[in-house]
Amino acid sequence: MFNQKRLKFTFLSFFILLVFILFDIFQLQTSEFLSSSEIIDQQNLDKFYITAPRGEIFDVNGEKLAESKLEPYLFLNMRKITSQNSSEYRQIIQYNFPELTNLEINEIFESKEILKLVTNLYSVEYEIRNNILNNFDAFLIIDLPVRSYIKNELFAHTIGYIGLPNQEDYEEFKNSLGNNQVGKNGLERYYEDYLSGIPGELIFLGSDIIDSKQPIPGGDLFLSMDSSTQYVTKESLQQGIDLANKSFESINEIKRGASVVLDIETGNIVSMVSLPDFNPNKFVSGISDFEYKQLDRDQAFNNFAIQGLYPPGSVFKVVAYWLALSENIFPEGLSNRDSKVDCVGSLSFGFVDGSKQVYNDWKLEGHGKVDLTDAIKQSCNVYFWDIALNIWRNFGNTEGESILQEYSKELGFSKKTNIDLPFEKVGIIPDRDLFEEWKISRPGLVRDEGWLGGDLMNLIIGQGAITTTPLQVANAYRTLLTGENLSPTLNVNAEKIINNKINVSDEFISFLLNDLNTVTNEGGTAYVSFSILGNKANDIGGKTGTAQNAGDKNNTSWFVGVDSVSDPKYIIATVVDEGGSGSAVAAPVSRRIIQHLRKYELTPVKFGEITE
Amino acid sequence: MINRKITILGPEGTNLYILLQFLLFSVISWFTLFSSIGSIEFETTNILSRQIVFSLIGLSVFFLTTYLSIENLYNLINPLFILSISVLSGLLFTTPILGVRRWYDLEPIGIPIFIQPSEFSKIILVLFIAKILSQNSYKLIFIMGVLINLLLIFIQPDLGTTVLLLLVTFFMFFISDIKLRSTVLGLLIFFLLFFILLEMNFIGDYQISRITDFFSGDDFSQNQSRLSISSGGLFGTYFTNLQVTEVFVPVQTTDFIFSLFLRNFGFLGGFLLLSLWVLFFFRVNRIIKLTQIEFEKYLLSGLLILLGVQIFINLLTILGFIPLTGIPFPLLSLGGSSIFSTAIIFGLINRVFIENNIVV
Repeated sequence: MFNQKRLKFTFLSFFILLVFILFDIFQLQTSEFLSSSEIIDQQNLDKFYITAPRGEIFDVNGEKLAESKLEPYLFLNMRKITSQNSSEYRQIIQYNFPELTNLEINEIFESKEILKLVTNLYSVEYEIRNNILNNFDAFLIIDLPVRSYIKNELFAHTIGYIGLPNQEDYEEFKNSLGNNQVGKNGLERYYEDYLSGIPGELIFLGSDIIDSKQPIPGGDLFLSMDSSTQYVTKESLQQGIDLANKSFESINEIKRGASVVLDIETGNIVSMVSLPDFNPNKFVSGISDFEYKQLDRDQAFNNFAIQGLYPPGSVFKVVAYWLALSENIFPEGLSNRDSKVDCVGSLSFGFVDGSKQVYNDWKLEGHGKVDLTDAIKQSCNVYFWDIALNIWRNFGNTEGESILQEYSKELGFSKKTNIDLPFEKVGIIPDRDLFEEWKISRPGLVRDEGWLGGDLMNLIIGQGAITTTPLQVANAYRTLLTGENLSPTLNVNAEKIINNKINVSDEFISFLLNDLNTVTNEGGTAYVSFSILGNKANDIGGKTGTAQNAGDKNNTSWFVGVDSVSDPKYIIATVVDEGGSGSAVAAPVSRRIIQHLRKYELTPVKFGEITE
Repeated sequence: MINRKITILGPEGTNLYILLQFLLFSVISWFTLFSSIGSIEFETTNILSRQIVFSLIGLSVFFLTTYLSIENLYNLINPLFILSISVLSGLLFTTPILGVRRWYDLEPIGIPIFIQPSEFSKIILVLFIAKILSQNSYKLIFIMGVLINLLLIFIQPDLGTTVLLLLVTFFMFFISDIKLRSTVLGLLIFFLLFFILLEMNFIGDYQISRITDFFSGDDFSQNQSRLSISSGGLFGTYFTNLQVTEVFVPVQTTDFIFSLFLRNFGFLGGFLLLSLWVLFFFRVNRIIKLTQIEFEKYLLSGLLILLGVQIFINLLTILGFIPLTGIPFPLLSLGGSSIFSTAIIFGLINRVFIENNIVV
């Protein structure tokens, strides 16, 4: 039978116990409050952080690009070193690790840290390790991760590198303090919080370890990049740069360039190369000051694909192409894409004040009768100047005069593409407001009259104050072919962000592809560079660009290609800084990358035709 | 038995008081854990987001348990007990984690948690004893069953849970009409067994060191725990002081969470939280008096005793009165198994309530 009385008795005893406990807590929290606070203040528990292994990085085929291997390191517990045993420990270190200099050993014994790193035990025999550990209790072995970049230079700019955190890094990344390393650039920085892992802890009370927490490794990163395409891209770009050096008498040595391959459907980056590059492994083992300065002088740390700002030249003409067809603005007197202007190699036009100005096309003898297709195919400046003049005459000095700029911005120019890489640059799309601003902030840069029709004519052919990054250009072409301006990504698991959508009809896209196709075929500016492909060039498209630079600088060589016009998969954008004509240098570089993408036989980069 | 209408919240709803109590304790746990890590990110490594997920699963466990009628439960007890014994025996064949065989690691099948079967077997033991007592049949085989259960937990080894279950068994037999003498005798026999096993080196070194450390008075974590409690003062540090000196207490989020709670919310917070538990005991005790069914009386008393003894062992540990045991504070400590088992206890109590038509 259930005994209610005994239950009552049980609960009553529970209650008495509870009162007793509450009384003890009360006493602890009132009368002992002050003395405890004092003890807590004096208690010096120290934490020693153990670096967590960073997440590893893989390419699209699962090939490892960056890894973190654990290697054993010998530490000395400085709190267990006394004046009596210090000479004994010194001898042991000298005897077992003869590679350490006296200076380094002195430094160890003068250290104020709790645990002082002695040496890497990776190549030290197991018996020695064991012997040291068992007989001398101030020694301690901790496994620490060592980062290595398996492909060396190949992914230097995209993966980036790690280094010791500075003050700003400490504030931005909460794990960097304990990890003693932080992503300095590239994906290593962009995904720092994800890759870093959480450092482990050793808690010291005096000289004893009273508790420990294991480090938690960071997450792995899977990229959309393809190692073989990356390799071919780099090789081709290097060949293009060497070729340009051989072919032109440039004042400066030509060494900079960038090339990007963008997947049209997904916006994934397949390859991204910037030259010159560097070996990120040098940062792991410590780079010499001399070497660093030399690389820095060559701008090797810049990822020109997202940080190089170049006038785009004729590759920018697709913006006006899109504008012309969307707004039905053609050269004055023309009503559709098939009507022609007569290009005589120059354009002269009058201003309101009566003065006349003459603009010369790159082809002084002229292109003859050209329609919109021919204007792209032969890169005829006069046709596009006529469009600019038409805009200027209709909308000049009104709200509508910035229509070209608005179309540019829809395609992502002068904005970040928001690729998952840090330190991206935005470039410039000039307009009246910007020139007014510059009059104040950068006097002497622009003339007193401010924004004029001539500036618009410059802009429409990608010249003048305009600057863009190679990735922006690639992404703009992608936007025109898909209708959505998507942020390109390297991490396959990154969220796809649509920046904006544009209105392009299927008809427009097929027109554009067709017209880009004429560029690489007979009569087009890139024909010579692609003729080596024979019939296969029939399916390829692109646009050349040769942008003039101020001063003595050689022209910037551009080519934006589409691997196939019947089934477009990739956009390839290539820039060779001071590389001269786009059709001569950047076009054959892109051609070789397309050969790889389409699995054709690779042929060396060969000098093309000098056009614009 | 009346046919009950099934609703989303269980048959004929749920007792609001029990549900509220469960939710309140969960939320208090979240706040306490938040103070320990200071941030929440939805990752499996973040203890707070883990706990929130555990609490939410716990809530559904609570509702699911409510669907089981007491009659069905009663018939299920013997199979459940056999299952419990088998699962506990299965542990003997696992690889030890931290030197003990106490958990099943679910990582290999893709769930990043450890299951601690003894958390659930203790409820089943209470059910089993409640059944023995209500049948008033003290067959030897039943008593042997109870002893085997205790022994399986003892050899994991899990001294804390063994002592917990020993006390629960003792109190449950005590509240039946069984002669007081035999209950006390049973307890004595078990303690004798304990010291024999101790002599035979059956108990791990670390457990001995826990006990000897305790009597030499230098257990580091308990000293730190007392310091931590003390630093809370009357009103705690949660709302007043943002920049406090850290007091380091090992396993502060699991076994020592109440010391963290007392540090954050002070004596006032501790008093309120414990009062909530007293209120809970009063409320359930009223139903024990009200119900006419012997089994329900034993069940409710058994579950209350289980909760009560757990809380006391935990409190006495963090205050340093008894050696380290590893018994979590119900619903406050971090850990899935503990939350789920407490959710089952609440669900069972809830079922008895609604079968007696008490829904508020």
